[in-house]
Amino acid sequence: MSVVSIQDARKAFGGTEVLRGITLEVPRGEVVAIIGPSGGGKSTLLRCMTLLERLDGGSLSYGEVIAAEQGADGRTHYAKPDVLKQARGCFGLVFQNYNLFPHYTVLKNIMDAPLRVQKRPRAEVEAQARELIAKMGLAGCEDKVPCQLSGGQQQRVSIARALALNPEVLFFDEPTSALDPELTGEVLRVIKALAAEQMTMVVVTHEMGFAREVADRVVFMDGGVIVEEGPAAQVIDTPREQRTREFLARMDG
Amino acid sequence: MTIQTMFQMLGEGFFVSLQIFAFTLLGALPLGIPVALLRMSRFKIVRGITRFYISIMRGTPLMLQMFAIYFAPYYVFGIQLTPNSKWQATIVAFIINYAAYFAEIYRSGLQSIPRGQYEAAEVLGYSRLQTFVYIVLPQVVKRIMPAIGNEVITLVKDTSLAFAIGVGEMFSTAKALVASQVSMIPFAIAAAIYWVFNFLVEVTLGRIEKKLDYYHD
Repeated sequence: MSVVSIQDARKAFGGTEVLRGITLEVPRGEVVAIIGPSGGGKSTLLRCMTLLERLDGGSLSYGEVIAAEQGADGRTHYAKPDVLKQARGCFGLVFQNYNLFPHYTVLKNIMDAPLRVQKRPRAEVEAQARELIAKMGLAGCEDKVPCQLSGGQQQRVSIARALALNPEVLFFDEPTSALDPELTGEVLRVIKALAAEQMTMVVVTHEMGFAREVADRVVFMDGGVIVEEGPAAQVIDTPREQRTREFLARMDG
Repeated sequence: MTIQTMFQMLGEGFFVSLQIFAFTLLGALPLGIPVALLRMSRFKIVRGITRFYISIMRGTPLMLQMFAIYFAPYYVFGIQLTPNSKWQATIVAFIINYAAYFAEIYRSGLQSIPRGQYEAAEVLGYSRLQTFVYIVLPQVVKRIMPAIGNEVITLVKDTSLAFAIGVGEMFSTAKALVASQVSMIPFAIAAAIYWVFNFLVEVTLGRIEKKLDYYHD
């Protein structure tokens, strides 16, 4: 069973169709990189998969939890709020611009949702949070607030914050696009370490080298459809489709 | 009459001014929150009504509003006025007037919080109420402190408007003393008392802002 499955996803803003029938299944332990030009629908797909946007058509499920189904009328119907809440517990999202809570310390950013949302015992949550802080190379930052950290550190805190809820799958929306090249590496290293632990991840990225190295599968999206997908090395080194080749050539140039 | 006696009488008046000040803040600071939320309601009609209320409160003199609230029960509902009515009308008028100003300040603060904060909270599973109370509100408070400070200081001076309706606060006392003593000194003393109190307000606000200064965004 897939950890996350989206079928025939369709979404339009105003009259513009942004997603035109996307199907993506992610089995446990797989790392999927979504690449493609701006405006191709990558971010919208990710926002639909994380319930920040609602699909017009298609279905969406996380394991056994069905978040949205396509009705007989061809339109998507979303589940009741308690089911959606359950669905939200299945995934984590790392934003491009971190979106940490600026008034909370690093420790509190990581611990607050497990305490308030999952209502887990404080001692256990704090132990896990400290472990994550160490793993993310953030030791000593526990009591700092986000504005005292570099962008790379902030992004690592936001990864820890997402992991603290023990999600089945982690989504990344261009996690290094807001970072200087020198800070990009430290965030990519952390994501690579998670991949080595068989964490299921879906990463929208412009870092082709990273996608090539870490992803099991690369999905190339353009114009609201999946143009090409396959093993990372194949799609990036020997793309079959003309549009993929053109995009990759531009990225190199 | 000695300066000391004047001081004492003005001090008694200032105690009344302080009461207007305190009751207004106690009522208007919380009341502004629902007003701000209604002002941003999804429903056009609710937004419209709230907007009209704010417009009236900001667009007409507080002094006239006091009179309106004082006389309305008698002329509209035929309720007999009591000696306490002036005081009650003053407090009600001040509260609903200041709530309108506070509501607009809250709205500016609420609308300045980036959408990403709401999205992060949503993805993490916070309920809408939790998002508001724990994530949005603390950040709003920090952002609006300077604007709230302005209103609080204005309020200290606005308490003198209660003079018009016959509530015996400090300005009424000062005016009476100026007339009876044929001296401007009571006005000078009153001015000094307003300023000293506002200076204390400024210091307090400064401390609160400093306390919230542990982060910036």
